[in-house]
Amino acid sequence: MVKSPLFSTTRSKIRKRWRSWINRRIPLDDQRQFDRRSIYILPTSAGMVFGLLLVVMLLTGINYQNSLIYLLTFLLGALFVAAMHQTHNNLSGLELALLKAGEGFAGEPIVFRFALQSAHEATSIDLGNEAGSVVTLSVPAHDRIEGALEVPSRERGFLLPERVRVETRFPFGLLVAWSWLRPATPALVYPRPVMPPRAPEGSVEAGDSDAVSVSQGQDQVELRPWREGDLSARVDWKRYSRNGEMAVADWQGEQGSPQWLDFDGFPGVDHELRLSYLAALVLDRDQAGESWGLRLPGLTIEPDQGANHRRQCLRALGAWQRTPPGGEGGL
Amino acid sequence: MSAVSLLPTRALLWLLCGFALLLLPQWDRLPVWLIAACLALAGWRWLAQVGRVRLPGRWLRLGVMASLIAVYIATVQGRFSVDTAASFFVLAVGLKWLETANRRDFFVVFFILVYLATVNFLFRQGIGWSLVTVTGVVVILVALQLLHTPAESRHGGFRGLRRLGGMLLKTLPVVIALFVFFPRMAPLWSVPLVSEQARTGLSDSMTPGDISSLAQSSERAFRVSFGGEMPEHRERYWRGLILDRFDGHTWSQWQQESYRRLGRVDRDAGLEGLAPNEYDVLMEASGQRWVYALDNSRAVSGNIAKVPGGLFRLERPADTSIRYRMALGAEAGDAAALSPGQRRRYLQLPPSGNQRSRELASELARQAQSDLAFANSVLNRFREQPYYYTLRPPTMPEDPVDTLLFDAQRGFCAHYASAMTFLLRAAGIPARVVAGYQGGSSGADEAYLIVRQYDAHAWVEAWIESRGWVRLDPTAAIAPQRIESGLREAMAEEGSFLEDNWTSPQRYGDLALVQWISLQMDRINYNWQRWVVGYQGQSQMDLMSRLPGNIGLKELGYVTAGLVGVALLIAAMIAALRHGGGRHSDPARVLVARWGQVLRQRGVTVPAGATPLQLATMTEEQAPSAGPVARAFARDLNNHYYGTGARARPGRQRHRATDVRPMRRRLSQIRRELKRRSTTYGSAGKHSAEPAHRPS
Repeated sequence: MVKSPLFSTTRSKIRKRWRSWINRRIPLDDQRQFDRRSIYILPTSAGMVFGLLLVVMLLTGINYQNSLIYLLTFLLGALFVAAMHQTHNNLSGLELALLKAGEGFAGEPIVFRFALQSAHEATSIDLGNEAGSVVTLSVPAHDRIEGALEVPSRERGFLLPERVRVETRFPFGLLVAWSWLRPATPALVYPRPVMPPRAPEGSVEAGDSDAVSVSQGQDQVELRPWREGDLSARVDWKRYSRNGEMAVADWQGEQGSPQWLDFDGFPGVDHELRLSYLAALVLDRDQAGESWGLRLPGLTIEPDQGANHRRQCLRALGAWQRTPPGGEGGL
Repeated sequence: MSAVSLLPTRALLWLLCGFALLLLPQWDRLPVWLIAACLALAGWRWLAQVGRVRLPGRWLRLGVMASLIAVYIATVQGRFSVDTAASFFVLAVGLKWLETANRRDFFVVFFILVYLATVNFLFRQGIGWSLVTVTGVVVILVALQLLHTPAESRHGGFRGLRRLGGMLLKTLPVVIALFVFFPRMAPLWSVPLVSEQARTGLSDSMTPGDISSLAQSSERAFRVSFGGEMPEHRERYWRGLILDRFDGHTWSQWQQESYRRLGRVDRDAGLEGLAPNEYDVLMEASGQRWVYALDNSRAVSGNIAKVPGGLFRLERPADTSIRYRMALGAEAGDAAALSPGQRRRYLQLPPSGNQRSRELASELARQAQSDLAFANSVLNRFREQPYYYTLRPPTMPEDPVDTLLFDAQRGFCAHYASAMTFLLRAAGIPARVVAGYQGGSSGADEAYLIVRQYDAHAWVEAWIESRGWVRLDPTAAIAPQRIESGLREAMAEEGSFLEDNWTSPQRYGDLALVQWISLQMDRINYNWQRWVVGYQGQSQMDLMSRLPGNIGLKELGYVTAGLVGVALLIAAMIAALRHGGGRHSDPARVLVARWGQVLRQRGVTVPAGATPLQLATMTEEQAPSAGPVARAFARDLNNHYYGTGARARPGRQRHRATDVRPMRRRLSQIRRELKRRSTTYGSAGKHSAEPAHRPS
C-alpha cells in the first residue's frame, strides 16, 4: 500500500478541483430547495451488487431457457429504475433551511438547527456534515421537521460547516441521492475559557504566562511605575513608604477593578489567551452573580449582569477582530 | 445484545416471512430435516430480535454450522445434482440468519433470497407456484423498504406494499415489452438440470403391477391442442416406449436409452397456427427423453427426433415442461420387413418358466390358420372367459403369466399386455409391449386434451407379415369402457378410481362445480404455460415474423436497447413535468410564500423558514394596524397544518380550496394594511429622496 507522492498530490488536486466545482455550483445560502439541477444520484455498493445479481439471473435465465427467470430479472431491473425515480423524488422539492447557527465554546461541538419542509412526504432524509455527524429525519407531506447537526469547533470566531450533505437512500437502499447546502450564516464560537493563573508577587514583567507560578494568599499584583492619571487609590502606598517608589498596582483585571474585565489587564500575554482568560472570568463572574463590564480594544460593554449580558460579552469575545465569512472570499 | 437491535423488527419480520414463502415451492424437494432446521434457525433469530433469547456466540454458531453441514454431507453422500446444490443454498440462508446483525447482513440475505426465487422458477413454473414465488419477492422487497423507513413511522409494511405496487404498475409496460422483445439466445453453455427427484410418470421398465400405481395419480402428463378435430377416445393411443425384453418378471428396453451429450436446444414448438393435421403437445417435466405421439405421426418442431420403432425422443431430458409439435400422416411405415436380428429380438423369451402358457400358445397356434387369426383367438379368449380388469390385482410372484391366465384372471392393463405378448412370442409371432397413455379428457370448452397419469396404459404390437406392426389391445377386449371413455367409467363398479387420492379434484368427477373450477384453473395454467413459460426462441421468431420487417435476433437486440432508452426517456420527462407542476401544490404554503414576498417588498429581511407567527410579528412591526389580522392569519395557518382538523383527516382533504379561502382574504387584508402604511410613513421617506430627482 505504498502510495507515490505524485499520485497522492494528484488525488488531492482532483479533490480540490471537485470541491471548488461543487462550491461554484452551490451558492452560499441558508435556504435551498433541491431540484434536479442540484441532486446527484448513484447506486450504492448494495445497488452495484444488485446489478451484478441481475446479470447472474439473466445468465441463469438464458442457460436454462427459463422465461419466468427472464421475467423476474426484467421486473427487478425495471424496479431498480423506478427506485431511481423514487429516491430522486424523495429529495426533489425538499427545502432545507438553516434555522439557527448555535453558539458555544471553542472545542465543543456547535449545534446548527435546520428545518426541512416538503410538499410531499420525504422519508429518511440524512443530514450530515464532513465531521460525520448525521441526523435522520422524515418529513410528512406539507410539514416541517427540525433537526440539529453538531459541528466541531477548534477555535473562537465564526464557524461555518463547509457543506451540509443531505442524502437519502429510500426506499430500497440500492441508490443514494444527495445534494448540499452551504449555509451562509455562521455560528459564533466563544474563546475556550481558561482560568488565568495567579502571577507570583515578584514577577513584575511576567512576559510569558507559562513562567508565572502561583503564590498563595497574596493578591496577584503587577506593579508598574506611576503615570499621570493613575488613580491614587491604585498606588501601592505600602511600597512607597518602604522605598519611596511611586508604583501603581496594576490589578490583573479582576482584582484591579472588580467591575471591569479588561483585555489590557494581561500585558504580554498572547491575545487569544487573553480572550480565553476573559471568557473564563466572564463565566466566573456570572456564576458568582456579580456584575461586570468588559473592555476590549475598540469595544466596551458597560457593567451589567445576567444571562443576556454574559452572552453579549462572550459573543464580543468570540467575534473580536474576526469578520464573519461572506462570499467565497471568506474561505 | 446491542447488535440485534440494529435491525428494525418489522423489516426482519417481513424478511423472515419472505424466506418462508420462498421455501414453500421447494418443500417436496428438500429433505425434511433441512426444512425443520431452517425454520428453527429463523425462529431463533426472531426470538433473539424480540429479546427472548440471545443470538449464539461465535463458538456456538460455529458448532451449529459444523453440525448442520455434517448432517448435510452425511445425507448427500457425495452426489451432486441441482437438488443437492439447492439444498446447500437453502442451508446457507438458514445459517445466515444466526449472524444477521446489521444492514450489510440484511442485504446479503436479501440477495440470497432473490436468487432462491430464481432457483424456484427452475423447478416450478405453474402459475400457482409462480405467484407464490413472486409474492415472496414482493415481501422481501417490502422488508428492504422497511429497513430504510424510520422505525417511528406508523404506517409500515402496507405502505411499502402500496408503494411497491405503484412502482410495479408503472413499470409493467416496459417489463412486458422487454419480455417480448429481449432476444432469446441459445444457452451460452450447457448445464444439465440433473434432478434426483422421483417424478410421477412412466418408467423404462414394466413389472406387471407397476402401472396400477400410476393409476392412483391424477397429475397431468401432458396437454394437447389439435389443429383439426380431436380424435375419438378409442383412437388416442399415445405411444412412448417399446418394451421388448422379458426376463420372466419385468419387461424392459432391449436397447438402453443411449446417453447423448446434452444439446443446447433453443428450439420450441413455435407459435404459428396449427395445420388441420397437426397437434401441439405441452408435456410436463418428466426427467426423461421420451415423448408421446399418436400412431403415424411425424415431428414438426425441431426439438424432437424420430428414433427406430416409430417413437420420438427429445434432445435432452425434459427437466422442465416442454412443448413440441407433431403432424399426423406419416411417411412410409416402418421397415418393410424385419431383419433376422430384429426378429430374434422380438421373439426373445426366458428359456423356462410359465410352462402352461407356452402350452396354451402352441395349442392355439395349431388351431389358427394365420398369425392374425392367432392374435384374434387370444383376444377372444380374453373376451369370452371371465377375465377381470381391476386396479386391485393379487400379487403374482411365481410364473406371473401363468398365474394371470389360469389362476387369478384378474389384472390391470400391464398384466394383460405382458401375457398377450408372451403368448404371441411363444407362438413364434414377433411382438412387443408398448407403454404410453390412452385416452385423456378434454379441458375447459373442449379446447384441448388433458392426459393424466391415470391414463397410463400398456398394449401390444405384433408383426403381421404384409401388414407390418399391428396394434392389439387386450384391455379393449376385457374392459371396453377403459378404451371408449376412460378409467373412471371402467372402474365405476369397483369404485377404485383414485381411491387413495383424496385431494384430487378428478376424484370428484360427479360434482359439477368441482369439475368446472378444476378445468378453469387448468385452462389458465395451460395458457400460462403455453404463452408465458413457453415463450422461447421459436415462439419469439414466429411472433416477430408477423411484424413487418425481417426481424432477427440482432434486430431484436437493437429493439430491446431502443426500448430501454425510450422508456428511460419517457420516465425522465414525466418526472420533469411533474416536478415543474407540483412544486407548490399546497395552497396554504403558497400563501405563506406570498406573505413573505409582500414583507420583502417592504424591505423587511425575512429569514428562511420563518414561521407564520414570526411573519405576523414582522408584519405588526411594519404596520401595527395589521397586527390583529396578521395574527389571525398565522393562527389559521397553524390550524391548517397542526389543527385537529388536519389530524383527523390527513392526506388529500387537507388542501381543499375551501380551507384556504378565508386565509386568502386575510392575506389581501394584510397587504392592504401594509400598503396603506407604506404610503403614509413611506411617503415621508419619498419626499426626502425625491427632490434629488425633481430637477430632471
